[in-house]
Amino acid sequence: MDFLVEYFPMIFKGFILTVQVTLFGVIIGLVLGILLAIGDLYGGKIPSTIIKFYVEFFRGSPLIVQLFIFYYSVPDTLNILIDRFTVGFIVFALNSAAYQKGYIKGAMESVYEDQMTAALSLGLSKAQAIRYVVLPQALRIVIPPWSNEFCSLTKSTAALLLIGVPELTSAGKTIASWTYRVLETYTFIALIYLLWISVMMKILDILYNKVKIPGVEITA
Amino acid sequence: MFGPSGSGKSTLARCLAMLTTSTKGDVFLTGECLTKPGVDLNKARARIGFVFQNIWLFHHLTALGNVELGIRRVLKLPKKEARERTMQALREVKMEEWVNHYPAQLSGGQQQRVGIARALAMDPEIILLDEPTSALDPELTGEVIDTLRDLAKKGTTMLVISHEMPFARDVADEMIFLDEGTIIERGPPELFFTNPRTERAKRFMARLIKRTRRE
Repeated sequence: MDFLVEYFPMIFKGFILTVQVTLFGVIIGLVLGILLAIGDLYGGKIPSTIIKFYVEFFRGSPLIVQLFIFYYSVPDTLNILIDRFTVGFIVFALNSAAYQKGYIKGAMESVYEDQMTAALSLGLSKAQAIRYVVLPQALRIVIPPWSNEFCSLTKSTAALLLIGVPELTSAGKTIASWTYRVLETYTFIALIYLLWISVMMKILDILYNKVKIPGVEITA
Repeated sequence: MFGPSGSGKSTLARCLAMLTTSTKGDVFLTGECLTKPGVDLNKARARIGFVFQNIWLFHHLTALGNVELGIRRVLKLPKKEARERTMQALREVKMEEWVNHYPAQLSGGQQQRVGIARALAMDPEIILLDEPTSALDPELTGEVIDTLRDLAKKGTTMLVISHEMPFARDVADEMIFLDEGTIIERGPPELFFTNPRTERAKRFMARLIKRTRRE
């Protein structure tokens, strides 16, 4: 695989971009996901319906289609220019938020009603009860499904190659077509994904054990 | 307050604590109506302590954290003062040695004592206790009852739903007998233990006293 050394800067750049899009998507998706879950659970009928449509759109259509819509249709319709990188970041955040909302809502529902009642009995407002009692427990429960989301989102970023974003897979494709060393190139690319995902899974696993409530076995 | 199961004791307590909206009637606290429109529900709840039958501590917080949450976030006391008040409440229920334990690491009786401290620390005008010992093993009941005796001695205003008759006889100023959603009879404990006026109270008391003797 010596020939790859020459292309290392290109691969590295692609890898960094993949990492950036994944982290941005997962973190902004988490924040949005929490807001969507709260809106769905406590916001009333109209917000809840809007949120359902949002979630159905992002979960019910292929990611590639979503990328195309945001890359071609949206700028066309609004008559604005959005560069391909921005499209990538936005779509991955919005897409991940839709999935994460489901995990977070489920976790919040599994923190039983009694925790809310106990909080209200102290005089905490509903918002305070969510912030100090429901969310801290729900977010602990959500870590395992959250690491799944991280894993699948990382691999989905390969779709960015279709709108010309030079992420990791796209770098591999370029190198393979220049060198005709298809097998070695893609194997190497796959190994990078594998390594990065394994490291992140380990980190999330450590985090999960670190924040675990002593004496409680939580199952999601 | 006592009565057969399904008689509405818990519902009444929850209405009084403003945790359930009552369909009829008003709640008054030291002469002030809490059910009239415009009353801040959160402020009203903060003035009334509540201890739950199934304890319901916050799982993710230590004993200390459970007691401190309300003082910090509702009463908004500064850190140092809040900590002192938390420790004092935990001392009152004799839990000062377990402050850094999480609920799952405590016995049921210890958990319920933290539950009592959590309500107590808010310095409420009254504490409502909904069968605080009925979820506990008989041997753990004693330590919670002892805690309540201590509080009663210090003059804490409490409304306790309980069928611990010796406890009621010793500490209650007034007993209320509830059946099928209605207050059937109320009066000093001696009345209930010697000669209840109503037939239903008589029969229920007889059963309770017999059960207590057996234990």
